[in-house]
Amino acid sequence: MAFHKLVKNSAYYSRFQTKYKRRREGKTDYYARKRLVTQAKNKYNAPKYRLVVRFSNRDIITQIVTSEITGDKIFAAAYSHELRAYGIEHGLTNWAAAYATGLLLARRVLKKLGLDEQFAGVEEADGEYTLTEATETDDGERRPFKAFLDVGLSRTSTGARVFGVMKGASDGGILVPHSENRFPGFDMESEELDAETLKKYIFGGHVAEYMETLADDDEERYKGQFVKYIEDDLEADSLEDLYAEAHKSIREDPFKKYESDAPKKTKEEWKAESKKYRQSKLTHEQRKAGVQERIAALLQE
Amino acid sequence: MLRTVKPKTARSKRALEKRAPKAVENPKKALFLRGTSCSQITQDALGDLYALRQVHAKRFQKKNAIHPFEDASSLAFFSEKNDCSLLLFGSSNKKRPHTITFARTFDYKILDMLELCLDGESFRSISQFKTQKVPVGTRPLMVFAGTAFESPVPNGFTMAKSMLIDFFRGETSDKIDVEGLRFVVVVTADEPTTAENSDDPSSKAVLRLRVYTIQTKRSGQKLPRVELEEHGPRIDFRIGRIQEPDEAMLKEALRKAKTNEERTKKNISTDIMGDKLGRIHMGKLDLSQLQTRKMKGLKRERDVLDEAETVVEEAPKRKKKVDI
Repeated sequence: MAFHKLVKNSAYYSRFQTKYKRRREGKTDYYARKRLVTQAKNKYNAPKYRLVVRFSNRDIITQIVTSEITGDKIFAAAYSHELRAYGIEHGLTNWAAAYATGLLLARRVLKKLGLDEQFAGVEEADGEYTLTEATETDDGERRPFKAFLDVGLSRTSTGARVFGVMKGASDGGILVPHSENRFPGFDMESEELDAETLKKYIFGGHVAEYMETLADDDEERYKGQFVKYIEDDLEADSLEDLYAEAHKSIREDPFKKYESDAPKKTKEEWKAESKKYRQSKLTHEQRKAGVQERIAALLQE
Repeated sequence: MLRTVKPKTARSKRALEKRAPKAVENPKKALFLRGTSCSQITQDALGDLYALRQVHAKRFQKKNAIHPFEDASSLAFFSEKNDCSLLLFGSSNKKRPHTITFARTFDYKILDMLELCLDGESFRSISQFKTQKVPVGTRPLMVFAGTAFESPVPNGFTMAKSMLIDFFRGETSDKIDVEGLRFVVVVTADEPTTAENSDDPSSKAVLRLRVYTIQTKRSGQKLPRVELEEHGPRIDFRIGRIQEPDEAMLKEALRKAKTNEERTKKNISTDIMGDKLGRIHMGKLDLSQLQTRKMKGLKRERDVLDEAETVVEEAPKRKKKVDI
C-alpha cells in the first residue's frame, strides 16, 4: 500500500468552515439568491421583489417576497389549495393549477397595491407570449409592478410547472421578465412558441387528453387515476370550462375563502394533528430508566 | 504577505483581475472579526452593523488573538486574503470594555485605525425596534451633526466621520431613485468637554449613532410629509485609541489614476445650436496709453512745457511717451 499523507489533520479541522445552514440542508442556492436579492447598481437603490414558487407533493406555494436586512418579508402569497374556492378541486399541482395560482397571486398583489384596475393583464388566456407593459393613467405613465421569478432548486426544463406560475402571474398583470423558451409548446428546432399548445396546458387540455386516452385504453387505470374526478362527475371535455370559469372568478374576487364541508377541527384536534409525526424528547427519568433496562438485559445474557 | 502566483488557469486569472487595482475601484468590502474575548453587546453591535452592510461584507465567527494597536499584521493578512479593505474588529476587556476597532487598508496594508468604545448601557440592537426594516443592499442618507466634525485639524471625530462614510457608502451610482431612500444614519457629536485630554475614557466626548427609517406620508401637497422612525441600532461611542495614517501612504492612497477619459477642456463650450464657443483671456487694458482724439484744446500750455522739458533731460524715455 502506498504512503498516504494524512490530509484531514487537526490543522484542517481547526480551519474548516461549515457552509451556511440552508446550504448544508440543500435548501437554498446562495449563488442565485445573492443575485436575486441585491438590486443592480443602475437601478439606483430601488427595492426589489421576487416571485417565489415552490412545489410540494400536494400543494403549490407562490409568494411575492422582499428581502430586508433582518430577513425576508412576504408581501403576498397564494396557494393552490385555495383554488378550491374557485371551483378547481382536483389536480392541484398540475400545470393548469400552477397557472391559476400564479394568476391568483398577481391579482392579489395588484388589488393590495390598488393597481388592479390599471393592470388587467391578459383577460382571455390565448397562450401568446406577452409581457406586461406600462399603462397610461390620469397622472402620467405608470410602470408595472415588477417581480423576478425565483424557482429555488427545481429543474428549469422546458415545460416545467414553475413557468406555469410565471405565465399566470404575467397574464395576471405583473411584470415578470422572461422569454418564451421554457413554455410547453416551444419548439427547440424552429425556436418558436406554439401558442395552441400553451393554451391547451393553461386550460388543462393535457390532463383531459390523458383522461380520454386512459378511458379508451385502460378502464381500470382510469378509474384508479381519476377516481376523484369520477366521483365529482368531471368529464374530460368539461375541464376547459372549469378552468376558464375559475380564471374569471379569480379576477372578480382574488380574496375568496374556501369553506370546507368537513366538520371543523377544534384547536386541540389540530394540536394533536401536528404532533402526529413528531418525536417528543424523553425526560431525564425516562432516559435513565431506559439505560437501566438495557443494562438489565445485558446482564441477563 | 501572500505569495504572488502567476495565474495558471483562465478562471484564476479572472479572479485576480477582479481584485487588481482599477481606475474605478470595486465597492469596499468590510470584514467583521472578533477578538478572543468579545462581549455579547459587542457581538450584537457587530451583527447589526453587518446587517446594515450586507452584500459587501463578510463575517467571521471564530476568535482571533489579535491586538490591533500592538500588532496589526494579521489584520492586514485577513484583508489581503479576503479582499476586504475595511475591517471591524470587536473585543472587550477590563480596561477597554466593548470596543470596536475600525481599520482601513490600502494596498492590503493598514492605513489607519480608530478604536470606538461602545456604551454598553445605552446600546439597543436592530431587533429591539419594532419597525419595518430596510431592504438588503440599500444605501443610507447620512447626517453628521456637531461642530467637532468640522475641525480643520484631523482628530478622532474627523477620522470617525471619514470611517463611517466609508462604511456606509456601499456601491456608488450617479443617480438615485427616490424610492430607494429608505433610511438615514445620524451621527451626533457632543461638544468636546474641557477634560478631553485626561486619560479617563468616560470623560471623553460621545459620538451618537442613530439609524432611522424614512416614511413618506400623504400631506395633501405634491411633496410628501416625511417622518422618521427609529430603526436601530442605537449606539453611543467614545473615541479610544487612534492610529493616524502614514503621510506618504495616505498621499499614495488619495492619488487618482490617470484615465483615458477626456478631461473637460476649460473655456470651451457648445451652445444650443451646436456652435462651439470659446472664451479667451485678455490682458488688463492699460487705459493710460489709450489714444484719444487729438484736439487743440487739450494741448499743453507753455508753463507746463517747461517743467516737462526738465523731466526730459533726466529721463529721455518719458519724452517719447508724452509725444505720442
